[in-house]
Amino acid sequence: MKGLHDRNRAVKVRTPVDEETILNLKAGDLIEIWGNIYCGRDAVLPKMAGLIEKNALDSMNVHLQGAVIFHTAVSIAGIGPTSSNKVEIEESIPILSKAGVKIHVGKGKLKPESIEALKQNNAVFAVTPPATALFAAKTVSRRLVAFKEEGMEALYEINVAGFPAIVAIAHGKTIFTRSTA
Amino acid sequence: MKRKGMLTCEAISEAAAKCLVRAGTTFRKDQFEAYRRAIETEKNEKARWVLETMIENARIARKKRYPLCDDTGIPHLFLEIGNEAVLPAGWLSAVHLGISRGLEVMPGRPMAVKGSDVERVEQSKGLFMNPAKVQPAPAILKPAAGDKLRITVLLLGGGPEIRAKTYRIFHRRSMEVVLTEAAGWAKEEIGHLGCTPCVLAVGIGRSHAEASALMLEAMKEGRLDRQNFWEQKLTRWLNETRVGPLGLGGGTTALGSFLKVGPLRASGVRIVTVRPCCCVEPRRATVALPSPPC
Repeated sequence: MKGLHDRNRAVKVRTPVDEETILNLKAGDLIEIWGNIYCGRDAVLPKMAGLIEKNALDSMNVHLQGAVIFHTAVSIAGIGPTSSNKVEIEESIPILSKAGVKIHVGKGKLKPESIEALKQNNAVFAVTPPATALFAAKTVSRRLVAFKEEGMEALYEINVAGFPAIVAIAHGKTIFTRSTA
Repeated sequence: MKRKGMLTCEAISEAAAKCLVRAGTTFRKDQFEAYRRAIETEKNEKARWVLETMIENARIARKKRYPLCDDTGIPHLFLEIGNEAVLPAGWLSAVHLGISRGLEVMPGRPMAVKGSDVERVEQSKGLFMNPAKVQPAPAILKPAAGDKLRITVLLLGGGPEIRAKTYRIFHRRSMEVVLTEAAGWAKEEIGHLGCTPCVLAVGIGRSHAEASALMLEAMKEGRLDRQNFWEQKLTRWLNETRVGPLGLGGGTTALGSFLKVGPLRASGVRIVTVRPCCCVEPRRATVALPSPPC
């Protein structure tokens, strides 16, 4: 019997992600992401949300339509998911989704309000294990985009080839267990 | 008793540096075996994918000497000093120097925060770019038999720190009462940890500081292939939550539990620390340095 680990069963997702791709994703789908991913976490996501409200993000050459955002630091130690339910990260999900982000990647269970915001904006939340060594093997390049002063918490863009994740929340449905509600 | 020669600061620093790199990049044999056992018994397909991915990650990390996780953790030191060990002046600074070197080599994540007390709390002055600026937590020192200086480096990630708890439990003269309440704390938090399967580390002591130190000692000593009755029980309770790897469901919420009970005071209260260590933890390595012959 083939398991989920069989790469042939993963849905390949290329960035920028279109609306139809998201409509076809279900909670529980294994995905492989190809293309550019923005990376940010506690320090930078609220700043991005503030810039969206001021309509100032385009001037920084940051384009969120169809984007994937990975909740991670970027450093010489690599990348790996941080807890997406930290307040500054989870609070950014509705506004970033409204601005066009289609896939938020991180870890940990999200609140019902976040699940609803994802649904309203046809966006999904995916989780991935802290597989930093594996991610290094799948990262082609990376560049600093903005907020250099935040160090490892600055906004980065990485290019990945087959970055693995599981869709955990899509279209109002979640695969997180009820016992942790 | 034969006279012993003195360890050198350079030997201590080099050993501490290598120890840190091993802790951050290498799964121990009991970790690999615990994951393999979990894959064999796990019925949830998504959970199995997570477990298999963690093994693949550990294999790449071992081969390429990459960090297991980008949150390379805060170094915590457990130092056991043999009664016959002959240590040079400045030996503890030599351990710290080794930790700094190890963080540069591995490399560690550059996450030390700049500034004054308030600026550090508010993280308003940015971060140091040098991973060696991440200072180790205050070391725990213990006397031991023999002539060795034994250095254990533990790397504690940030996720479990959000979910850990130290508090009092009224024991009612029952271990079952104490551990049921402690497991209850963990069960409340485990679904939000994200990085499951966890290893539950528990320390029971007389003060908050001591309970935390005992929890760290449990992380230092515990083995996933040697679990006592109470450790097995804690693991079973957590697995009954069906949170599973990454919170995706399944039977593998915890790979095991490490429990350490210290000296206790005459009282109806026990102070308990519970820390749900994440799926790459406990990241630890130990090196033993014998004092050389004269």
